[in-house]
Amino acid sequence: MKPFHISNESRGPIELVRLGGGLDMHSFPQLESHLKSLFEQGHHRLVLDCRELEYIGSAGLGALIGFAKDARERRGDLKLLNVPPHIYRIIELLGFTKVLQVHHEEAKALASFQPN
Amino acid sequence: MPTPEQVRINKTTDRLTIHAPGDGSCLARIRAIMADLARQVGFPDHEITMIQMAVDEACANVVEHAYAPDKQWRWQHRQPEICMHIRTEHGRLVVEINDHGQRFDFTSYRPTDVAANLDEMKNGGYGVPIMRRFMDEVQYSSNNQTGNTLRLVKYLKKE
Repeated sequence: MKPFHISNESRGPIELVRLGGGLDMHSFPQLESHLKSLFEQGHHRLVLDCRELEYIGSAGLGALIGFAKDARERRGDLKLLNVPPHIYRIIELLGFTKVLQVHHEEAKALASFQPN
Repeated sequence: MPTPEQVRINKTTDRLTIHAPGDGSCLARIRAIMADLARQVGFPDHEITMIQMAVDEACANVVEHAYAPDKQWRWQHRQPEICMHIRTEHGRLVVEINDHGQRFDFTSYRPTDVAANLDEMKNGGYGVPIMRRFMDEVQYSSNNQTGNTLRLVKYLKKE
């Protein structure tokens, strides 16, 4: 399994954040500090591309819930993109897909945000 | 990823024993070992992921709660360590995770449920519900001699 890695690039008013590797209780502080930094820069519309994500534990899922709530309070949102099937099945079983939007195409994920 | 020396593995014919540091640095390696083992036993892919996640949550709880730096743990002269005994028997996988840290108080524990809407959801506390959801048996025991042991069992379902 690859170490957790995270990067982002702008898509107009939306930040596309790429996640990869294993996101567990040891690595999730990296996710927290990266997303906090984006929030502090005023980016509250985030699409998390999970194509290279190999694992997510409850610490990572909890962090996503926290950031999604914060984003919506600031009229933004946090959405997931390209979630690998083995992870999708887990988060669906746990019920997280009821509260976090999951997309399979980048264009649709970007278009799903309300215009300013 | 930690070097192999940080995780000690003893394998006998019927049991695998893993000793790993209790600081969370070896969780990825433990997940990889669990996936290999569950695959060898014959679990399907989606159940391998469940076993990985349940064991990861159990180990994460040891790191975060049993060996939390702000709590006193019983055997302070020892290095914090996670010791795992894994065996397969009678069509089931049995994983015992042992630590010598702070005892987990099940009597005051309240599980976090996934709510129907985001506003009602908490940012953490999903570890134990995940273990209970993904494993067939979850049992916790604690005593001063042997420390704390969480026993996770998953049955291999016949097709």
